[in-house]
Amino acid sequence: MTKSRKIYVILILCIIFFVTFYLALFAGYNDAGTGLFFKTFHLTDDADSIILEVLRFPRVVKAIVAGSCLALAGLIMQAVSKNSLAEPYLTGVSSGAGLGIVLSILYFNGAAYSVFGFAGALVSSLLVISFAGLSRFSIAKLILTGLSVNLFVGSLISLFILTNADKAQSMMFILSGGFSDVISNRNLIILFLAGVIICGLLIPKLNFLRLDSNIISSFKKEKDIYNILMILISAFLTSVSVFAAGILGFIGIIVPQISKMLVGNDYRYLFITNILLGSAFILFADYIARTVVYPLQIPLGLVIAFIGAPVFIFFLTKKGDIFNNDRS
Amino acid sequence: MIEVRNLSFSFDNNKFFDNVSFNLPENKINVIVGPNGAGKTTLLKLLTKAFLPDKGFIGLNNLTTFYLPQRINYISGITLYEYLASIFFRNSWKWFLENSEKEQINNILNCLEIFDKKDILIENLSAGELQKANIGLGLLSGARLFLLDEPTSNMDLINQVKTLNIIKKLTMENVTSLIILHDLNLASCYGDYFIGIDKTRKIFCADKLNFFDEQVLKNIYNMPFKVIKNKEDIHVQILN
Repeated sequence: MTKSRKIYVILILCIIFFVTFYLALFAGYNDAGTGLFFKTFHLTDDADSIILEVLRFPRVVKAIVAGSCLALAGLIMQAVSKNSLAEPYLTGVSSGAGLGIVLSILYFNGAAYSVFGFAGALVSSLLVISFAGLSRFSIAKLILTGLSVNLFVGSLISLFILTNADKAQSMMFILSGGFSDVISNRNLIILFLAGVIICGLLIPKLNFLRLDSNIISSFKKEKDIYNILMILISAFLTSVSVFAAGILGFIGIIVPQISKMLVGNDYRYLFITNILLGSAFILFADYIARTVVYPLQIPLGLVIAFIGAPVFIFFLTKKGDIFNNDRS
Repeated sequence: MIEVRNLSFSFDNNKFFDNVSFNLPENKINVIVGPNGAGKTTLLKLLTKAFLPDKGFIGLNNLTTFYLPQRINYISGITLYEYLASIFFRNSWKWFLENSEKEQINNILNCLEIFDKKDILIENLSAGELQKANIGLGLLSGARLFLLDEPTSNMDLINQVKTLNIIKKLTMENVTSLIILHDLNLASCYGDYFIGIDKTRKIFCADKLNFFDEQVLKNIYNMPFKVIKNKEDIHVQILN
């Protein structure tokens, strides 16, 4: 895959991103749409700009945050475990973050939710990794352990929500996937930027992990610290995505895979494509969720699966042979 | 000098190596030979510290190592050039390679005669070309001790010779290598020092002239050999 082709792909993804951004922000039943784009830059006090500011804009921010964080976390997990099935949802990391937030809402009135969410994500990823065997985990063991932890923690979350009906409303989003109010937009953006910048600093090193793990282990010292850093950052990104939009499956697995089919296996390009594609995906899913059966809103997770599955299968049948050599 | 002293190692409480000691010269090609299952790969893995010994001492004299395993997993979707470039992301946080590093990659590709394949995806390369690329990784890593597990399997005769020539050239640049080889004639052409392991995991070390001896080979392989020596040239035949 030549460099010019990769840049071409990234440009197209930028266009897709801006189209979905536009759809999510301006299209819908509540406002006129196109003409508004220009009006918003000198905000008048009419209903349209209030819809934008109060309803749409926070949603758009959360969609971008959730999409890019999940995609990046999935990308990192797949690179570190050398397994294309690893992702925040299947490995139970998302549920861990969810449990952390639920505990923070229930017992600490929502204080320090970011610390709780991150701690939850970290604990469950460490649990899964240590159960699956730290250095030489097999693919099957990792996924099965992750699945069990995911179910276990997921049912714990349900239990906490069911037994605390008074606060259930503010926690439901964690389970079904949807945009939350637990966190203010400003804090979310700060956490997001911190995560993405750290991730951007770490990401070129994933290129080294493309080599066979036995070859890598002859340079042992460097690898160990580095893997721990990677697990930390992917847990952090996952927890940020759960703050923004609850537990969403599928994004963390399909976005990195589609990106790999598009630009190959250079993690510097994958970093950019995952951010663009991940955000675009959730922005578009949110647009569908809001408009298809208006005035009802379909849960975001449902729409994601509904669009994601056919798209993913399409890519698999087209370029699925990329997985044939992908053993570990 | 690479030193292994009183090394013992066991798999699940079964003694594998018992009190093994040997020394290897530096800046030479050291060759490990022996029948399948004798423990050649295990010995290499002990040297890379992928396996930890029960007791004993392994002194690599602070040489940085590069280990090429027998079976290698490749990731798909990267070109040969990108595969080699991976090594430069080892201990830096930078997003872009420096020009000197790019030049180094191109030089290595030229030296290994695979420059024209540099933009081909690695899943479309032949096994021999991939193996050359792996040796290129070792060259780029700047390691001073190469531990190669059957590096020439999968290669045609010409490429076997060419690859071993490259390794031979490395020894002039102060690189020590320890290679597992099965072809005794090839081993005798390129090796300077030999380690033979037999089925009972007894280790016999000697330089070329002493190692290629009919009795020694018979002990290692449990099979009669005929060795024809013509000064430095050695030919080995199995008597069957």
